Amino acid sequence: MSSTSLAQTYQRISSSKKFQERFSIAIRLVIAVFLIFFSIFPVLWILSAALDPRNSLTTQDLIPPNWSFDNFLRLFNKDPNFSFGDLKYWTWLWNSVKISTISTVLSLSLTTMAAYAFSRLRFAGRITLLKAILLIQVFPNLLALVAIYVLIFQAGQIVPAIGLNTHAGLILVYMGGSMGLNIWLMKGFLDTIPRAIDESGMIDGASNFQIFYQLLLPLLRPILIVIGILSFIGTYGDFILARILLNDSSQYTLMVGLQIFTAGQFDKKWGVFAAGALIGALPIMITYLALQDQIAGGLTQGAVKE
Amino acid sequence: MKQKTGNESPLGLLTRVLLVVVLDAAIGWFIYNSVQLGFTQLAAVLAVVLVMLNIIFLLPQAYAYRWMAIGLSFLIIFVIYPILFTVYVAFTNYGDGHLLTKEQALKSIQQATYLPEEGKSYSWTAYKSADNQYVLWLIDSNGDTFLAKVGEEIVPAKPGDPGIGEADSKGIPQTIEGFQRLNTLLAAADKELPNIKFGVEGGKTVQVRSPSEAAELQIRYLYDEATDTVTDQETGEIYYNIDGTFTSRTGKTINPGFRAVVGFKNFIQFATSPALRGPLVRIMTWNFVFPTISVLSTFFLGLAIAIMFNDPNFPLKKIIRSLLLIPYTIPSLITILIWRGMMNPEFGIINRTLERWIGVAPPWTTEPIWAQAAVLLVNLWLGYPYFMLVTSGALQSIPADLYEAATVDGAGAWVRFRKITLPLLLVAVGPLLIASFVFNFNNFNLIYLFINGGPPIVGAQTQAGHTDILISYVYNLAFASGGRGVQYGFASAISIIIFIIVGAITLAQFRFTNMWEEVSQNV
Amino acid sequence: MSKRFLLSIVLLFAVILAACAPAATPSPEATEPPAAATEPPAAEPTKAPEPTATTAPEPTAAPTAVEPVGKLTIWADDTRAPILQELAPAFLETYQVELVVELKSSIRDDFQVAAPTGEGPDIIVIAHDQAGTLVANGLLAPVDLGDKADQFVENAKSACTFDGVLYCMPYATENLGFFYNTDLVETPPATWDEVVTIGEALKNEGKVTYIMALTGTTYDLYPLFTAFGGYIFGKDDKGNYNPEDLGLDNEGMIAALTWVADNVAKGNLPTDTDWANNHALFETGEVPFIMAGPWALDRIRQSGVPYAVTNFPAGPAGEGFPFAGTQGFFISSQSENVLLAQAFLTEFVATEEVMQKLYEAGKRPSAFIPVLEKTDDPDLAAMGEAGRNATMMPAIPAMGSVWGNWNDAVTLVIQGKQEPEAALKDGATKIRNLIANPLTGMVNVPGSYQAQAGCSGDWQPECAATQMTKGDDGIWRSGPFALKAGDYEVKVALDGSWTVNYGVDGKENGDNYKFTLAADGEVSFEFDPETKLLNIILP
Repeated sequence: MSSTSLAQTYQRISSSKKFQERFSIAIRLVIAVFLIFFSIFPVLWILSAALDPRNSLTTQDLIPPNWSFDNFLRLFNKDPNFSFGDLKYWTWLWNSVKISTISTVLSLSLTTMAAYAFSRLRFAGRITLLKAILLIQVFPNLLALVAIYVLIFQAGQIVPAIGLNTHAGLILVYMGGSMGLNIWLMKGFLDTIPRAIDESGMIDGASNFQIFYQLLLPLLRPILIVIGILSFIGTYGDFILARILLNDSSQYTLMVGLQIFTAGQFDKKWGVFAAGALIGALPIMITYLALQDQIAGGLTQGAVKE
Repeated sequence: MKQKTGNESPLGLLTRVLLVVVLDAAIGWFIYNSVQLGFTQLAAVLAVVLVMLNIIFLLPQAYAYRWMAIGLSFLIIFVIYPILFTVYVAFTNYGDGHLLTKEQALKSIQQATYLPEEGKSYSWTAYKSADNQYVLWLIDSNGDTFLAKVGEEIVPAKPGDPGIGEADSKGIPQTIEGFQRLNTLLAAADKELPNIKFGVEGGKTVQVRSPSEAAELQIRYLYDEATDTVTDQETGEIYYNIDGTFTSRTGKTINPGFRAVVGFKNFIQFATSPALRGPLVRIMTWNFVFPTISVLSTFFLGLAIAIMFNDPNFPLKKIIRSLLLIPYTIPSLITILIWRGMMNPEFGIINRTLERWIGVAPPWTTEPIWAQAAVLLVNLWLGYPYFMLVTSGALQSIPADLYEAATVDGAGAWVRFRKITLPLLLVAVGPLLIASFVFNFNNFNLIYLFINGGPPIVGAQTQAGHTDILISYVYNLAFASGGRGVQYGFASAISIIIFIIVGAITLAQFRFTNMWEEVSQNV
Repeated sequence: MSKRFLLSIVLLFAVILAACAPAATPSPEATEPPAAATEPPAAEPTKAPEPTATTAPEPTAAPTAVEPVGKLTIWADDTRAPILQELAPAFLETYQVELVVELKSSIRDDFQVAAPTGEGPDIIVIAHDQAGTLVANGLLAPVDLGDKADQFVENAKSACTFDGVLYCMPYATENLGFFYNTDLVETPPATWDEVVTIGEALKNEGKVTYIMALTGTTYDLYPLFTAFGGYIFGKDDKGNYNPEDLGLDNEGMIAALTWVADNVAKGNLPTDTDWANNHALFETGEVPFIMAGPWALDRIRQSGVPYAVTNFPAGPAGEGFPFAGTQGFFISSQSENVLLAQAFLTEFVATEEVMQKLYEAGKRPSAFIPVLEKTDDPDLAAMGEAGRNATMMPAIPAMGSVWGNWNDAVTLVIQGKQEPEAALKDGATKIRNLIANPLTGMVNVPGSYQAQAGCSGDWQPECAATQMTKGDDGIWRSGPFALKAGDYEVKVALDGSWTVNYGVDGKENGDNYKFTLAADGEVSFEFDPETKLLNIILP
């Protein structure tokens, strides 16, 4: 915004709108370079750690001496002189993508429907429940792991398909987060959509579900994408729940698999970890690159027909 | 606003009742099985869910809740129940030494055996018949050999006796008629073997105790449910259940202990613990400063990025935004440690560069103020992409015609931002700011991984550092403390206390939340 | 978007169905059926191979698909797991037991959660100092090494012996050694003074930046502390660590830390104690000396720096010695396969072949004597020599409160914020505060009356409701307590625990006092700390 106000100041001097626009873009490009430097610089060091055969995170040169792709080879079990045994990097990556996608789609639908009710319907306990949702997130849930482990273990004794060491069980647990803060975000977005839209639907005799599904849902696209990405990244990056619920290395998610390299007290394989983390970041980057056009748009592009 | 609950079609009603029947049957079946298997927790949680779902789907007044019935069910099972469990644990001594339930501990205690003074021990070799019966070939310490069968006296035997094959080099018969000799591992693969009593019940019996030993073992402890005591069969000593440990009158205890309810003990322990003698005021102050600055800095940087690069005509905006998202896509475990390396005052790239260019090397990890600045900087890096994403989504909800109207009225960019963008944005993002505050309030990982609370406070009464927040400070005391090992009970009590503090702050913020909602309804 | 949403609804119902309907399990993704955990009835008599001292894998009678009769699960880290995974096929073939080795990152923590449900592994591979709490929690089963017992290094066995019971099969020991750069230093220093002389000479010549690397503040500096007479916990006469005897602020520790402080002040030592940074200093020849463990051997060798390993320099208290650790196999007491796990360890792992492989993977001196004797790695031999007086790292829970405070004290001194003596005294006070029993000094009369006197149960030496108060005459008194008619037993206990208690005739650990109330009435107690006698005042 500083750039906008700067541009504003400049407006007084220059009356040429085109020039002003170019100037603003130029300034923003400079800022972008700075910001990108800020965001990328540590990542370059992660790359440097990935290329460093010494497995150190405190590399002192950006290009480590004797740099090599050994850590990548080890990650894929292709280093003939070195074996971690049972590494299944691509399986883990696939598991992560699969679990995150399914959880995201499922929890997104739960979140959206709940947010619709909070925004458009008036019912007893609405405010209380909204507050409760926020308060619940505040609780430092110290023993959640122990409690959830026991629940999933017990569920698995009855229906093995949702027990320990299954992806279905893990996804179910992630569903617990669908009634989280994203409801607030979604509700806030819904609140800003004019009620006139609902009312026009009601005059046509549409049911609540029809209004929600046919009229409102298309308008929610930007926020759906944002929440989807947030929830995807959240699930993708989780290793605390996944680590305790998954035991078989072919069931591991990427983050759980990568944890293996940090097991030793001194001989942590940071290089391999870094290599795996960098490749693991690609699916998120690609998804975001592909979807970010969808975030822009929505109401500003005149979807509202009053 | 008008709600449509009364005009349900007969078909809709039928569907709804059918759904309830199916749900009841399915969850009921699950509960039934849980009870059968003794899984009380699961059964209880599901019962609550079942009741809730019935109310929601059968009562017309609960119509709105049908929109969130499934989400609420998951919330109860995987969020609320664990919270209740934590609260329950705060009133128990759950933790090291008391990790098991009473049933598990008793099972383990009752498995203990002892070798009476006159009892003999042997080395053993097992033989198995086609119908899974075992015989043992025993050799005692004198080298005498015996044959032991279930239900028969243990008799001296020699290789070459009738039915017994010739001995191998170790004096163990290679065959016994009707039985196959097993090597130790194969025999050990049968889980039942250690429980088989060879010999005559009531007389002398021998049990396998380890791969190298079978002995005339006796059960060591007898549990009396009526008095809740355990008697040591070897010494006759009686052990009483005191707070989850069977303790004798002379203070001897039996391992393992088990989880027991201890009332408010954990809270009292906290109230009298050395933790309160520490530099609490300083830690609490920092604990508010750190999340406040973190939230504001990440929010405004994220928002600035979202606004600046939102322009559809902006060149390279997709690439720029993607590159700016990168900090969010790499596990923070590694990025925090990379920052730690980069900000190392002596060897880190940042200080080496600064020293070369401007001759200054800030003491990032050794001076309090610099350490706090470093933590904030790293947190800004970690956190701004979140708000960049959130705000770029939420910005879309602001109707363009509002801006147009304002521009027509002659409002400048700053005024437009302050009067239109910010208030409307806060409707959706406000709660996330609170949440982000809370997250950072308890941002243990960053503090612990990056600097471990350091630099230490000189002369503090307890272990504490200048960047310690409540939770990292308490972690050091509760989890590594006191020669008492990990105490979940104590830690849960502390987390409840922290919850009360943070919860109060959060509720106070709701005043603003309500205001935000009113704003939105005026739109 | 709407298609996506429709799909999501479909998936949603699939999950609900999966969660509720047991017969059909159309869960969103096909989870593999769990491997048959139940043991198939071992009906077919298996041709048993002859037991032999070493495991010569004999081909079984039926070379067709081997039907496992049992399953053993092991959790190990990335160094050990590959070796154990290699063993699995041979093990399955020879013994029809399936060996499942899981690569895990935080073995101890996850084990604490998983084991109590019975879902945990049968065997875990961890260091001995992590095992202390697991034993206290009843999660580990004793290990009987049988006739293999004398093939293991005595020290290693004693490391995982708790209360006189062995809980592991050790396979490796580890301790620091003193490394020096052979290009820079011809004869290794015999004393810490020589470290300074040699180092300063090199530094003045401009050959090195510092005289020694500081790879840490606690464990990594321990040989320096011990050379000056420092220690952490003293030992009782049985050789067990005694948490009451904290040595953190003893003269030796102060002297050692003063040595550090002086050299930091002179610019002889780095102010940064990061492990990796300091190893890099040694590997690039910037420092001539470093104290490093076997886990650093690989990276030091890779760096190409010329080095040798030798004994630790001596100080006023003699040659310094490091902490020693033991890596071992531990068996879960909650496992259904305790006997099988034991047999697996003693019959299959405790062989020269397997132990040799484990040694090669981990590069730690083997705890298995036949392999240790064959070990010809000069560095490991030198490290073993340097650690010949090593003391086992304390596995007592009190150690948990030591690390952080110890580190803080040393850090403050290195950063020049505090004098060594003050820093160590502060640190020691903090630890003592934490370890101290808050009930020290309490005199109580635990007994079968306590529930009636306001305690949550009987026989509670820590119950405040019945604690005694000291009178001016030196006699401790409690009561009166209103009790119902009946027979009662009591005892005297000090410090809120049973550790010190007195019975009839003031005898320590003696018999209970007994008294009878014919009718409801009030009872008081008097205790004479001189005679240790309890006087029961009946109505």
